[in-house]
Amino acid sequence: MTLDSPTRINPMIRHRASHIGRAVPRREDRSPLMGRQRYIADLKLPGMLEVAFVRSPEAHARIVSIDTAPALALPGVHAVFTGADLADVDLFPHKILYIQPVRQPVLALDQVRYVGSPYAAVVATDRYVAEDAATLVAAYTEFEPLPTVADLDQALAENAPRLYDDWPDNYLVNFPAEKPEVTQAFEEADHTFSDTYVSQRQTGLPLECRGVLADVHDGYFTVWSSTQSPHIVRTTIAEMTGIPEPRIRVIAPAMGGGFGTKTHIYPEDVVMTWIAGKLGRPVRWLEDRFENLLTGVHARDQRHEVDVAYDDDGTIRAVRCKAICDVGSGEIFMPGTATVFVTGGCLTGGYDLPNMEVHHFCVVTNKTPSGAYRGFGVPEGMFVMERIIDRVARLTGTDPVEIRRRMILQEDQMPYEMHGGGRIDSGSHAKAFERAVEMIGESLELVRARYADDPDVRVGVGYTNYVEPTTPTYHLTTGFWAGGDSATIRVDPDGSVRVGLGTTALGQGTETTAAQLAAESLGLHPDDVTVVMGDTDRAPYGLGAWGSRSAIVMSGSILMAADRLITKARDIAAHLLEAAAEDVVLSDGNFHVSGSDAPTVSWSQVATSAWVRTLDLPRGMEPGLEMTGYFEPPELEHLPDMSGKVNAAASWSNGAHAGVVSVRISTGEIKIEDYVVVHDCGTMINPMIIDGQVHGGVAQGIAGAMYEHFQYDTETARPLFASFMEYLYPTCSEVPAMTVEHFETPSPEQPLGVKGCGEGGTIGPAAVVAGAVDDALADLGVEIKATPVTPSAIREAIREATAGGGER
Amino acid sequence: MMDTSPGSREVDVAATINGMQVTHRVPARLLLSDFIRDVVGLTGTHVGCEHGYCGACTVIVDGDAIRSCSTLAVQADGSTIRTVEDLATDGDLTPMQQAFHENHAMQCGFCTAGFLMTLESVDPDDYREPEQVVDLLSGNLCRCTGYQNIVNAVCSVWEVERS
Repeated sequence: MTLDSPTRINPMIRHRASHIGRAVPRREDRSPLMGRQRYIADLKLPGMLEVAFVRSPEAHARIVSIDTAPALALPGVHAVFTGADLADVDLFPHKILYIQPVRQPVLALDQVRYVGSPYAAVVATDRYVAEDAATLVAAYTEFEPLPTVADLDQALAENAPRLYDDWPDNYLVNFPAEKPEVTQAFEEADHTFSDTYVSQRQTGLPLECRGVLADVHDGYFTVWSSTQSPHIVRTTIAEMTGIPEPRIRVIAPAMGGGFGTKTHIYPEDVVMTWIAGKLGRPVRWLEDRFENLLTGVHARDQRHEVDVAYDDDGTIRAVRCKAICDVGSGEIFMPGTATVFVTGGCLTGGYDLPNMEVHHFCVVTNKTPSGAYRGFGVPEGMFVMERIIDRVARLTGTDPVEIRRRMILQEDQMPYEMHGGGRIDSGSHAKAFERAVEMIGESLELVRARYADDPDVRVGVGYTNYVEPTTPTYHLTTGFWAGGDSATIRVDPDGSVRVGLGTTALGQGTETTAAQLAAESLGLHPDDVTVVMGDTDRAPYGLGAWGSRSAIVMSGSILMAADRLITKARDIAAHLLEAAAEDVVLSDGNFHVSGSDAPTVSWSQVATSAWVRTLDLPRGMEPGLEMTGYFEPPELEHLPDMSGKVNAAASWSNGAHAGVVSVRISTGEIKIEDYVVVHDCGTMINPMIIDGQVHGGVAQGIAGAMYEHFQYDTETARPLFASFMEYLYPTCSEVPAMTVEHFETPSPEQPLGVKGCGEGGTIGPAAVVAGAVDDALADLGVEIKATPVTPSAIREAIREATAGGGER
Repeated sequence: MMDTSPGSREVDVAATINGMQVTHRVPARLLLSDFIRDVVGLTGTHVGCEHGYCGACTVIVDGDAIRSCSTLAVQADGSTIRTVEDLATDGDLTPMQQAFHENHAMQCGFCTAGFLMTLESVDPDDYREPEQVVDLLSGNLCRCTGYQNIVNAVCSVWEVERS
């Protein structure tokens, strides 16, 4: 079988109405509405025990001793395991050769490197007792504190304490770069400036925390895990425990969100499987929010030291950027190292910048490991790029819209290769921006009029033009997996269809979308389609749901499997119709000879022949009506070429965001008055679901732009957060109503022209809010250089900008 | 020797949940959310933060919406409790549930029960302006939807005009 896969619906299908592009209502809604959805915390097994993990209260320390006896003496406690007990479990694998090996154990053995690091597990009759016992273990653990590093400056200081004794420094990734053409551009430009931009630490925080339920029967393990990648969880558990992979079934039950944070393979996935095997009975661990804040991967913690070369007329000739990511302790699989490369690769967003040089660094500190979160480095980069553009506009007296018009990608530049090797096959970059400018222009005037009589309030507008890499390679993230995914479609004797998918669902409406795709591909109705995913025994191997990849990989793999089914079904139908196969077409679920409506053969008749009345099959035909498509996205590359370039995403959606803010000068209070999104993800499968993805993405982008911040004590590297009281998760009052419009520029490369969506909404707000605040406070000379843009940050910026000129 | 461990003291909790009379002897420290979910077995009420902030665990006790994760089961002794399972009758969704579906006001669905119970606990006549609806909903967190479609769903059922 070649890798050539169909990119469009089989032409023998004649649809009366297409199921693609329709806002088909979600089939996922009824159970949660009625309180009947089954999330991980709703699953119980007879004889089940509950587990609590014991976590380090120290940011950096040696574990001197652990006395588990007091905990074991507590009524209801069955066992306490420490890292030493799990000696037969491998360290987490090291597969990315260009980074320092971390090789953390599933439970810390002799050293802890962040507050929250798990170092023991308690098994008890219920969670209350397990937590009592965990507290006792912690109380009887002796730590020897080590010097801490709480931020990049501390980690990179001369003679800084090192997290890993055998490393020369605290660099997990150290990739300087030098491009002669950039050096030359700096020499030739009229002006240069240098600046530093900062994205703060925040993360996805799905409303459902994580959890694992593991059971074993006769050497066959079943592991329910709240994960975005059940197959990868299975492969990793097998590799680390030595349990043969077919003897592990991983099930991702209904999930309460993930946003990237549940793509990682966490220690609990492995430890819980091991405990189930050790005790021979089911065990469950449910993460609480405190644990989730401390140990679910963090993200976005990046600093960008930029040099910019520009001319008097506002032309930006070159950007040099040192992108430095604080990845916390680095003790997570897969490592949090890929994000900063995505930041670098996508830094120019939807703009054509002649020269760029990005240096990539990941630095370890005594904080929670960082990893995947919706946007995956792109929001950080877009913030930098738009800040640069706004600053050049200001320095040269160029209109911020005009300067963007000059730089934005044009249709006749497609396909366009970015500096990092990303190849944008198509898009509506310029058109989307013009539409966003038009939309926001109207509300800008209204908002200005509203505050015209209030001298304390200023109004401003901000813009961003981003690209959204979708369906990325997993090889640069994991050093192991690549980018393909699969679908198995079976037509049952009653003519209905079961689709098994390697991707999974975490609340995005994937089942509904997949049913639309399968119906379209087989000439059926979505109601005829049942979708199965998130279960390694019932669905084919796949990499799961992340990187806005499901739309492309489902489209590709479903089309492949459907095409194979149709080829076989047509042969069967032709035999039953006593016609030539090439004359047979498929209309509204029935096979018939082209040009004649009767007689017809239904999918049910074909499937009954294939499975049941196999005597009706053409002589010599193999029975059965089930096919699998293993899809590798075209254009996707997994390794850089000699110059370091790689098209690490199969497709590139695009969008323009614009927002109007009001700023109250006396208090720094900031309000988003209007927000518009012009979005282009190619062919839309279900516009309602896509709008939902944009809304939710923008809300999370606003969370990062204005509210959420994981702060740490700089002396001790201890977290200054323990709950949602300190971590400002936006409510309905903080997220403004927004207007979303779409262009549909189909990908010429990807199946059905689909590009994928999910992360775009998250990319824009930090850049937009910062730009709008700068615009509002332009006459004060305020320049926002860091997120979150809080009232106190605005007051500080006003004080700095007006220092010497008398504070307002 | 008397068992003085923290979970040793037990109390009887009798309550009416969704019209059903239940009595259970439970640890005095048991949270109401765990009582409803684990003891009674109604898992439609979700626990999102366990510190009374996110609202996913919202249930109605004697007419008031409360956070079941920061209430002890024993505090609900003698009370009448309603949970999300009590909303639909014989499988027919309420107008609000139907509006959540039609407006795509839910994605992962984890927060949905909390929103529905908050909404169920109030008199719509007290919420005639969109800002009032937004204020009401601000006690419940949602990470997926960006809230816009939730506000739309509520406004459509309560006939509140959005500006």
